[in-house]
Amino acid sequence: MRKRNKLEIIKDILEIIQFYHNSIKPTPLLRKSNLSSTRFKEYYNEMLEKEFITETQSKSGKCIHMTDKGNMFLEKYQTIINFIDEFEL
Amino acid sequence: MMMQMMQQLIPAGLATELIYSFVIILCSLLIYYSTKEIYKLSSYKGLKYFREAFFFFALVYFFKSFIRFFIFFLGRKEIFEIASSLGNLSLFIFIYASSIAVFYLVYSVMYKKWNHEKTIIPTLHITAVIIALISMITRSSRIILGIEIILFISLTIITFISHKNTKKPNNLRFIYLLILIFFFLNIIDLITPNFRAFQIFIYLFSIAIFIGILYKVLRKVGG
Repeated sequence: MRKRNKLEIIKDILEIIQFYHNSIKPTPLLRKSNLSSTRFKEYYNEMLEKEFITETQSKSGKCIHMTDKGNMFLEKYQTIINFIDEFEL
Repeated sequence: MMMQMMQQLIPAGLATELIYSFVIILCSLLIYYSTKEIYKLSSYKGLKYFREAFFFFALVYFFKSFIRFFIFFLGRKEIFEIASSLGNLSLFIFIYASSIAVFYLVYSVMYKKWNHEKTIIPTLHITAVIIALISMITRSSRIILGIEIILFISLTIITFISHKNTKKPNNLRFIYLLILIFFFLNIIDLITPNFRAFQIFIYLFSIAIFIGILYKVLRKVGG
């Protein structure tokens, strides 16, 4: 299997959240992201820091949601990749 | 009447220089600001150094026209004839920013191969400061010329060797090479008064390269 780069992993995690109607618990997100728990934690913290995702606490536990900034990242993802590719960055 | 007064105040050569610098600064800043959003979203290091290279290009051309204006204002032939601290400071910033702009542009395409960002970036800044200090202390156009030529040859060789196995056909490396060539010619143009016969040629090609890159950037970011 081809190794995903950082931007691709972030995009995949955000797409999973989007697929689950913008609300998913941490454990299924970890499972569906195909990452080890250590790497998932790294990406998860980075995405929280960048405000791509937020957490809410309910009676049934912690839920993860995508923010507007996360949505913007998904919209611009192809542009970013094309740019990096075009300028060989 | 107004035109005649303007011509007396600013000779044609200086006016051309100012217009030329303005176009390059505008292109560089447009590249810098139009890529801000995609950088903020991605925090991609290659993008960071690419943008900052163009920010430094803008700074370099600002100082280039400032130095030219300064030389004209004081009625001197070249920058080394200006002994004031403002002249020294302008030369220092110009040479430092020139080196950093080129280093960042090269690093933006090399950073995947050069992983040690925490040591490489300070090294690049220290090298740029050393080059600027040598230029300021020696005040010799021959020494600066020598340093710039060595720098240009080394960077070109390093970049081409590192990418020689890249299968993807891309004319970008050729464009980067042109940027390097014309950028170094611009430095030579400032420090060597005899070089001015080629000015228009350098100006036109430099503008064409920067507009070409700006066009590519705007097309990609959808600006």
